Amino acid sequence: MRYDSITEAIGNTPLVRIDPAVHGLTHIDLYAKLELLNPFGSVKDRAAWNMARPHLADAAELGSQVVELSSGNTAKALAVLAGMHGLTFKSVTNRMRVPEIKDLLLLLGAEIEELPGQSECLDPTATDDPLTLFHRTISGQGNAYLHTDQYFNPRNTEAHLTGTGPEIVKDLDGRAPEWFIACVGTAGSSTGVAHVLRENDPAVRVVGLVAAKSDFIPGIRTIDEAHEVGLFDPGTYDTIEAVSTDEAIEGMLTLNRRCGILAGPTGGAAYFGAVRHLRAVDGELTQRQSAVFIVCDRVESYLSYVRQRRPDLFGRPRRPNSPADLTDAEIRTAPSVGVADAQAWIATGRPLVVDLRSPFAYAALHIDGSVNIVDEVFEELLRGGLPFSRSRPVLLACPVGEKSARYAALLTRMGHPDVRSLAGGIIAWRDAGAPLVRD
Amino acid sequence: MGGHPLYLKPRLGPRLGSLLESPGVLNTLTDALGSPLHVVIPDQIAANLEQFRSVYGRHHLSGQVFFAHKGSRSSALLRRLAATDAGVDVASLGELQHALGAGFTPDRILATGPKNPEFLWLAARTSVTVSVDSRDELEQLSALIRKCSLPRADVLLRLSGFDVPGVRVLSRRSRFGTPAAELVPLLEAAERHSDAVDLVGMAYHLDTTSLAEKATALEGCLRALEECRSRGLRPCAVDIGGGFGISYLADGEQWERYTTELTAAVLGARPPLTWGGHGYGLRNEGGTLRGSLGLYPAHRPVAGARYLDQLLSHPAASLGGRPLGALLVEHLYDLHTEPGRALLDQCGLTLAKVLEVREQEPGGELLVRLAAKADDVGLEEHGVLMDPVLIPRPDRRTADQPVAVHLFGSLCLETDLITRRTVFLPRRPEPGDLLAFVNTAAYCMDFHATRAQQQPVARKVAAWQEGGSWRWCLDDQYWPTTSVGGAQ
Repeated sequence: MRYDSITEAIGNTPLVRIDPAVHGLTHIDLYAKLELLNPFGSVKDRAAWNMARPHLADAAELGSQVVELSSGNTAKALAVLAGMHGLTFKSVTNRMRVPEIKDLLLLLGAEIEELPGQSECLDPTATDDPLTLFHRTISGQGNAYLHTDQYFNPRNTEAHLTGTGPEIVKDLDGRAPEWFIACVGTAGSSTGVAHVLRENDPAVRVVGLVAAKSDFIPGIRTIDEAHEVGLFDPGTYDTIEAVSTDEAIEGMLTLNRRCGILAGPTGGAAYFGAVRHLRAVDGELTQRQSAVFIVCDRVESYLSYVRQRRPDLFGRPRRPNSPADLTDAEIRTAPSVGVADAQAWIATGRPLVVDLRSPFAYAALHIDGSVNIVDEVFEELLRGGLPFSRSRPVLLACPVGEKSARYAALLTRMGHPDVRSLAGGIIAWRDAGAPLVRD
Repeated sequence: MGGHPLYLKPRLGPRLGSLLESPGVLNTLTDALGSPLHVVIPDQIAANLEQFRSVYGRHHLSGQVFFAHKGSRSSALLRRLAATDAGVDVASLGELQHALGAGFTPDRILATGPKNPEFLWLAARTSVTVSVDSRDELEQLSALIRKCSLPRADVLLRLSGFDVPGVRVLSRRSRFGTPAAELVPLLEAAERHSDAVDLVGMAYHLDTTSLAEKATALEGCLRALEECRSRGLRPCAVDIGGGFGISYLADGEQWERYTTELTAAVLGARPPLTWGGHGYGLRNEGGTLRGSLGLYPAHRPVAGARYLDQLLSHPAASLGGRPLGALLVEHLYDLHTEPGRALLDQCGLTLAKVLEVREQEPGGELLVRLAAKADDVGLEEHGVLMDPVLIPRPDRRTADQPVAVHLFGSLCLETDLITRRTVFLPRRPEPGDLLAFVNTAAYCMDFHATRAQQQPVARKVAAWQEGGSWRWCLDDQYWPTTSVGGAQ
């Protein structure tokens, strides 16, 4: 397939049947609409392109900045589209909680602004919430912004009215599925697709999925947050159900490990919510039905999100020479030396003085003649064995003498004959009036 | 009553819980001293301090915990704290006098906020550390010290408007502090006035619940301190202000259910949950929810000392990703904090007597009038939604049957509502019953109280447990000797 522009590769994503052995439904064919295969990685490519396209030429002429309230995929797509058209892009958000996405946006050249948190000393008469202020800035005179306004822009929904929805019908041989299950973010994809499917068959049942209120699933709103979305109309959905983070990750793992679909947590939530809802009706069916859910984006951007919630999935084998393996007794009895003795030892025994603090702190003030090896790097070094000759005495220093004691114990265990920890650390050194220098 | 009762049960620690289970004491107190009445619990503030100290210990940090006096005018709480190793942050001449009189020595006092000449003079005269708000204030303080031949003053410089590379974290504009971008001229002024002032550290205080904003400011302070060191100055402390917060409610689910129902009420999907359909900042524009909820997050999974712990564990993105607490220790800096609300958590309650219970329409919400003005119970003013605890007279215990009520104050004024929220109580209150508004010690007792319509301001008593029962005295009669078997 040959294209003149990457934007032509947006849309026309595959509809893939999930193996019944995985979902266990006997009367329902469950299909995944693989929006993760869009060129910038998500369903939002469609809306971003459709919203921005009519204005890009004017914006390029005026030198406008593209701006959107987005914490993820819309920002990603808009950053790419803006860059392709010689424009800059700014994402304003208070929801950007996934570090990889933040880093990726910065990599793509986006500017990110995070909205301030709630006031601790609340002023109930202050009606200027951060969003109101954002809109005031955007519409201020003399500001040349191309604001795509994904939560209110009908062209968001339109992208799915003309794209996603008809594609599903076409791939099901001109028939709408009996069921459509979608997560509610901007509500653009669910509203657009639901409209097309119902035009085809008014009996289509639409299940909207929202995040449980105290939870955070990227790309899904809680029920309260959904009400803040201009495109959201509760009437679109036959039912609205909540999905938890654990369920979203469980669904994601099933798609990742058993279906070969590298979906992110939003797709996982859609799969989980679909199977949970359909299982309840499956037993009473006598005829075959079909159901479609949307896989919004890919898993790779959410590794830290998953690691935080399911550290068990990242269990790695224990590594050798780790300070975590030490017993309390080993740490307690680690060789150490007080400030006065350390000063004398430095003068006579010429130990290598290793400062385990960060480079920033080391640069500010340190013991004259010491070398700086940050504890994290030191830990890595030790995995490969002793980094010093056994004939060279070593004095380890950290802020309060706690980390240095651990490493002194570890080096002793690894066979170093003369390693000592500076008792009380650099703080004790300073408090004793011993000299600290800047180079 | 309009559906299930939407309770917002307060979180009760052991001391407040025990006091509420002593209705005899509470009735005696209000019978003798009138309604409304504030009760403070001095021993609680010492316990809260320990929580902060243990976070310092966990991060190996030294430095002072300065209680932000402005949260409460209580003498008992201040004197109890003077008997610990805490410091106090004073923001007015009166607060400084109060702190000195309560037993705080000048080395444990920090003068902050907007200052008039008298406040500056007394601070410098007594060698209290001054947190300097602006370059002008630094000039003013230095001139005063020279003119009056006062001792050289220790100063912290308060900064604001921090930026770090990468993601730009927006912050509400502050009227306090010197913009971080103007650090160099500020330091030049400090050097010029080094005969009068000694720069001991940097400070910030941000009015926000956002951890990311505070982390940005702390990183900014570390950079500013590095600039000081490169100029040969020797600052040794960072003061990160307060704003650690309180979690007021016992049950996060109740809070979530309530806010969801409030949203539905604003959108017209259920009957109103407030007097006159008030939306607490939310509004309905063509079926879409607009505005923002102008309420304190009454249930906070992380607040107080644990919030500080989390801030100190937060990685400093622009400084190699080390946790902020580790960076402070590594740089050998003392950490100063100024918790106000968080130190006052669970330190008191406000009692109000029910005067009248009226049924305006049959089966409708009850209108309950209290012997208190709205400004005597500042919870609503601070956006804290939390149920009062009903304490029936012992002889008049009605059966449990939830009711919805509106709570009115005693002023002849339509807007004198204790709260605009429809409050659900587990049973119908009767005249003579008490309503206990708990956890009001922080900002909600005396911050806004007036003498409107010649009505009295609430009295305040201090209470403590001794030999299994509650003892009390008037707030200004309390001294740390009182509660250890002294005279009552």
